[in-house]
Amino acid sequence: VKLTIDGHEVEVESGTTILEAARAAGRYVPTLCFDERMDPFGACRVCMVGVEGAPGPLAACTTPCRDGMVVDTEDETSRRIAGATVELVMSELPDDPGGHTELAEVAGFFGIGEPRWQGEQRRPAHDGRHPYLVIQHELCISCGRCVRACDEVQGAFALTATGRGFGSGITAGLDSGFTDSTCVSCGACADTCPTDAITEHLLLELALPSDKEGERIPT
Amino acid sequence: MSRNLIEMLRAREGEAPATALTVLKEAIDERGQISDDDRRHAATVSGLPEATVYGISSFYDDLLQPRGRRHVCVCTGTACWARDFGEHVREVENGLGLAMGERSADAEISLGQTVCLGFCHTGEAVREGAIVDAGEGSPERAVAGTLREAPEPAGTSMLDEPVLLQPGDWSGLRRALGELSPEALLAEVKAAELRGRGGAGFPAGMKWEFAAKAPGTDKAIVVNGDEGDPGSYIDKYLMEQRPELLLEGMALAAWAVSARHGIVFVRSEYPRSLPILQAAVERARDDGHLGEDIHGSGLDFDIEVLEGAGSYVVGEETALLASAQGLRGTVSARPPFPAERGWHGKPTVVNNVETLCNVPFIARAGAEAYAALSPGATSGSKLVCLNERFNTPGVHEVRFGTPIGQICEQLGGGLRDGHEIKALQIGGPLGGILPGWKLDTPFDFDELAAEGCMVGHGSILAFDERTDMRHLARHLLEFGAHESCGKCFPCRIGLQRGLEMVEREGPVDRDRLEALLETLELASLCAHGGGMPAPIRSLIAHFPDELGVGGGDAGDGDPKGPDDPYMRRPAEPDEEGKPVDW
Repeated sequence: VKLTIDGHEVEVESGTTILEAARAAGRYVPTLCFDERMDPFGACRVCMVGVEGAPGPLAACTTPCRDGMVVDTEDETSRRIAGATVELVMSELPDDPGGHTELAEVAGFFGIGEPRWQGEQRRPAHDGRHPYLVIQHELCISCGRCVRACDEVQGAFALTATGRGFGSGITAGLDSGFTDSTCVSCGACADTCPTDAITEHLLLELALPSDKEGERIPT
Repeated sequence: MSRNLIEMLRAREGEAPATALTVLKEAIDERGQISDDDRRHAATVSGLPEATVYGISSFYDDLLQPRGRRHVCVCTGTACWARDFGEHVREVENGLGLAMGERSADAEISLGQTVCLGFCHTGEAVREGAIVDAGEGSPERAVAGTLREAPEPAGTSMLDEPVLLQPGDWSGLRRALGELSPEALLAEVKAAELRGRGGAGFPAGMKWEFAAKAPGTDKAIVVNGDEGDPGSYIDKYLMEQRPELLLEGMALAAWAVSARHGIVFVRSEYPRSLPILQAAVERARDDGHLGEDIHGSGLDFDIEVLEGAGSYVVGEETALLASAQGLRGTVSARPPFPAERGWHGKPTVVNNVETLCNVPFIARAGAEAYAALSPGATSGSKLVCLNERFNTPGVHEVRFGTPIGQICEQLGGGLRDGHEIKALQIGGPLGGILPGWKLDTPFDFDELAAEGCMVGHGSILAFDERTDMRHLARHLLEFGAHESCGKCFPCRIGLQRGLEMVEREGPVDRDRLEALLETLELASLCAHGGGMPAPIRSLIAHFPDELGVGGGDAGDGDPKGPDDPYMRRPAEPDEEGKPVDW
């Protein structure tokens, strides 16, 4: 399949997505729910790109390349709505994500400041029952990466998406914590999490000033 | 939809006695709430992981509200709202002394909300168990525990010989099996230009063709009977009053694409539909229209009827397939399309109820006769349904192209008690709103699209002159936010933010609202987030003062400064000297 990405002609195997082709061609396309170890999910809508002749922006991660496609990864409308989507994500978090996280990086790329839309935020709730894996629910952006890592990478099926709409989230087992689930403590969920909603105790302690530890980590 | 979960289910196909969703539904029906033991049992029966079952149990409305010995549900759909703007809900809440979602301390009674029981022709619908009551006095009867069955709507046709209101007689199937090869039937349906009646208007023949190309017969015809659009009761009417027409349409689809499995997915909000369809399937089996080697044609096809659990987005085809397999009803990105990987991973056709009800006529009378039903307009006829604001609400079969004003006056008899049409919402909650001064618009796909509206599901919901359009925007966005499946970010967060913008007192910042609507429209994964802006845009266009959208500077202040990324100009270079494009 031959196509044009940002003015460069590229040739890819049939079945390749626009995101894979763009990244192979050295183009930066921001993403939040994508992890190359798992099937594309199409949830975050941050990888939107312009494709000539398409009725509107397309998600690069779930759109297969087709012969003759002309892709603009910097399409103005795509970038505008992708940025607005990241802004919406920032508006639901009570705390800024840590500077080292993927979310902070993507928000920085789009230059997100104070979100234009304000309202209800995620409620702080922590699950520290596992010896070293912690869930900080208020940082979860429901990207599904942890659930899919547990399913597709590890095959442990210890995690699930919960709720729906604005009340969506994740949990382990029967909402019973990692230790009382089929979790094998592989850490794939913490590894893929783009916000530190699932992270390791030790890393959390290093990242936080000591006076905040008690507030955030249940003992 | 996780491929691994689908494979887990597929590996046990035919062995698992029930899906996890079915087991959870039975648990709450029997015991009023779901315990961890119920979840473990559902996991064992279905073969799914416990965490997955927990996720399912936290998704569906029907599984979330703890129930008392009496469980009363009040309809918060748009037709009920258009009558009294929610007064019936407050009446029941006050009468029972319970808020929505509450159960009395002695577990005697509980109150839940339900979005559209399909009694839009009477309004004020309430439900307890399988009994749906509606119309004058129903809130009082709900409180007193003396509900009675509400009357079903009437159906009329403006065609000399009704197509969709005619009871099915299986003559289309007999003709097709005797005279038409599967390829010939498929060609006929394509020639008829039958467009999907569930909202998107996608050509049914094309959908069928994709599935027909897959080899073998291990394919499925799945009927979308999850008519969740508040204000619509067309599919309810067809499933309950014309079930044979639907089953015949399914068998014809099975013939055209060589499918063995048929599934009708019915909403749980329509308690009468499930038993009626099951009885119709039994009769069809007894008469030899379903089963093995149907009428000696070699076609093996049978039908199973499944019930949903309370979720609007499950009306989207990928979410419907997930729900039909007992999983969380969230939307999946396409490809893969259902025609490649659908129900249990099989090539699948998903069609709306009314779409399939058109097929027997096409099989019997041919594409030309079908096109002639609506001269100079979209092929075929269409059912519309009118809400209780009209003098003669009900299900009406109309020709495409009929002016909407004519439908409202001649079939609907105008509004009751001398009220006037302030605006109409056509086709469901994702349809635009047509102001009362544009009723000469023809009822057809392109003409409605030009007004920011759609044929959609075919509901025509009148708001009279008492309606406050800001309140309407809030009502619609409450529905939208409540029903978002939560998978894609724009819809999950954006509908909540939209609701908050119109909920707050005072003017609404138009620029911010429009930027939000654009993001929802263009970035959402499915038509729910993508479509919810349509009615809000109509309200901005036609009723800006009532909505409270001033110019860009109105609203909650905070004028945009140079630091706002959206104010950057294309030529403005960033730190590295490269131009940023917005």
